[in-house]
Amino acid sequence: MILLHVSLAAILPSGQLTAQEEMTADEILKTLTETMNPEQSHGTMTMTIVTSSGQERTFKYETFSKDKGDKSLMKYLEPQRVKGQTILMLNDANDIWTYFPRTKRVRKLATHAKKQKVEGSDFSYEDMGASDAFIEEYNALRLNDENKEGRSCYKIELTRKAESNASYSRVMLWIDKENFIPLVVDYYHEDDPELHEKQLVCHDVELIEDIYTPMDCTMFNKLDNTYTKMHIVDITYQVDLADDLFTEMGMQR
Amino acid sequence: MTKTTKLITAALLLYTVAYAQPVDVYGYFEPQYNGIYSGDSYYQFQSNKLRVDLKSTAIANTEFGADVIFLLYHGKTDWDILDFLPAELTSTIPPLLRPFYSFRFEDTLYLDNVYARFALNRFAVTAGKQQISLGTGYFANPTDIFNTKDALDPTYEQPGHNAIRVDLQALPRLNLMALYSPVESDFESSGKMLRAKLGIGHFDISLLGCETQYTSTDFYTFEQTQERRHILGGDIVGELIGMGIWAEGIYNFFEDTEDGYEFLIGTDYTFDSGLYTMLEYHHNSLAKSDHEDYDLNDWMRFFTGETKTITSDQVYALLQYPLTDMLTIGSSAVLSVSDMSAAIIPMLQYSLFQNIELTLVGNIYIGEEGTAYSSSLGNGGFVRASVYF
Repeated sequence: MILLHVSLAAILPSGQLTAQEEMTADEILKTLTETMNPEQSHGTMTMTIVTSSGQERTFKYETFSKDKGDKSLMKYLEPQRVKGQTILMLNDANDIWTYFPRTKRVRKLATHAKKQKVEGSDFSYEDMGASDAFIEEYNALRLNDENKEGRSCYKIELTRKAESNASYSRVMLWIDKENFIPLVVDYYHEDDPELHEKQLVCHDVELIEDIYTPMDCTMFNKLDNTYTKMHIVDITYQVDLADDLFTEMGMQR
Repeated sequence: MTKTTKLITAALLLYTVAYAQPVDVYGYFEPQYNGIYSGDSYYQFQSNKLRVDLKSTAIANTEFGADVIFLLYHGKTDWDILDFLPAELTSTIPPLLRPFYSFRFEDTLYLDNVYARFALNRFAVTAGKQQISLGTGYFANPTDIFNTKDALDPTYEQPGHNAIRVDLQALPRLNLMALYSPVESDFESSGKMLRAKLGIGHFDISLLGCETQYTSTDFYTFEQTQERRHILGGDIVGELIGMGIWAEGIYNFFEDTEDGYEFLIGTDYTFDSGLYTMLEYHHNSLAKSDHEDYDLNDWMRFFTGETKTITSDQVYALLQYPLTDMLTIGSSAVLSVSDMSAAIIPMLQYSLFQNIELTLVGNIYIGEEGTAYSSSLGNGGFVRASVYF
C-alpha cells in the first residue's frame, strides 16, 4: 500500500485531459495501482522513527521488488542490531517470511502479522506490501477534486468491502492529477471509520528512469503522536532480478 | 592440538584473511545481571559476554564466517544442583559423590562458529561449526535434535555445531537439505539428516529423517551408554481462519531402549491493537506424566540437556504488546499439565539507543516441591543490556 513509484508511461497525454477529467474512481485507482508498482526495482532506503518524545531510530535497508510488487524483499543494512534481518513478502504480502541471521532461523508469519509494526515503526507489514490492496479490499468513490500540497488532486474515498480483512475501515486518497502519485493518504481505524489513525504524506517527487518517484514519504500516527520518515537513498528500475532472490535461500544470501 | 593452539590458529587464519581480503567485524557486548531467591537466600551472579563476528564475502559466491565468544562470570559462580532438588532424592546420594553434582560458571573464550559457505543461486554448501535451526515451534522444537531451548528465553541464539550442510532449492518452494554432523569418531556413529521442505499455498511443510547417536547418563553411577537413534518427523506452518498455526513432531526409534515420540502444536494471532498472542502445547512421551515418578536421573538429564523436558505435557502461552515504538512488554507462562506446576515469565524490551537494547525477564515458579516448576527451583530474573557494534 505504500505508493512510491509511478510510471511515466501511465500518465495520459495532455490531449486526453477531458478523458482524464471524466475518469471514474475505479479507473483512477486502477491506473494508480497499475503504475505505482514498476515491473522491477532495486534500491536503498532509510526509515526514521520519531517518537512523541522526539527520540529517533534510523534503519537503512536494501529493497528488491519484482512482478509489480507481487514479490518484494527487504534486507536491513543498519543499525548493527538488525543488520542482515530480511523480510520476504510474496503474493501481495499475503505470505511473509522473516530471516534472523543471529539465529539462522526463517519464520513464516501468518496474515494477521501484517498488522504488526515493522521494527516498531508507524508502518505495518500491510502498509509496506499489498500492492493491489486498494482495488482488492475496498470500494472506491470519486469525490470533488481538491488541491493538496499545492497540486491539483483527485480525491478518492475507499470503503472496506464487507468480506475484506484489511486493517483500515476507510481510506482517503489525494492523487496528483499529473503523475498519479498519491500525495496524501488518510487511514481510518478498523472499527471506527471516523477515527483518523494514520496519514501518509509523499513529497520530493523526482523523475528517475522515466518513472516519477516520491523520494520522501512520512507516515504520521495520529493516535500515538509519532511519525516515521521514509527516504529513498538510491533506486533503479532497470534491473533484471532473478526469481531465486525471492525465496528462502535468497533471503539468506 | 590444545584448545589454546586451536584458538590461536584460528585467530591467525582470520588475521591472514583480514589482511588479504576485506572482513566485516561486528558483534555485541552483553552484560547481564541475574538474581535468584532460593529458600531464604538471595543469590546474584553476573556475566559479561563479548561476541566478535568476522565475515568475509570477498571471494565470489563464498562466505567465510567465524565468531569468538568471551564470557566472564562474577558473583555466585559455584552451584550445587542438589540444593534445588527434593530432599528424598538427594538424601540417598553418598557424600563422596555429592561434589559431582556441583558445577562452576568458569570464564571462557571459544570459537562458537567457524564455517565456509559456498552458494550458487539454488545450491549452497556450508562446512564447519555453524548454527542449525530446525522446526516451527517457539517454545520448543522437537525436530531440532541439536539444540534445547530455554523456557525463559526461547529465542536466544544457539551454539554452533560441527556439520557439513548442503541445501538445494529444487523448485521455487521446494528445498532439500542434507546434513552430516561428524560428532563421533567414525562415519557410522555420526549424525545424518535429510529434510525436504515444500510450500503449498499458505503452508510450508517439512519432512525429515535422521540418524544419530544418543547418549544417556546414569547420574547415580555417572556411566554413559550410547545407542543408535533413528528419527522420522516433520513440521508444518501456515494459517487457518485468519490465525497462524504450526505443528512439528518426531518419532524416535531407539536401538536398545523404548521408542518415543514428541510433538508440539501452536497458534498465534495479532489483534488490531497490536497485541500479539500465542499458545503452544508440547508433549514428550519420553518424559514422565507423574511428578512422583521423577528421579535423580530425570532431573539431571533435564538440567544437562540430555532430555528436553522433565514433564510430559506442557502448555506455553505468550502475550506481547508494543507499548510504545521503543518499548515492548509481555509475559509468557508455562504450565506443566502433568503436575500442575507453572512458571510465569514477565518480560520487557526497551530500545535504549540505536544499538543498545535492554531486556528484563523475570521468572516466578509456582509449584510444589518436586514438580517441574517447583518454587524451590528459585524465583528471580535477569536484566540484560545488548550493545551491538
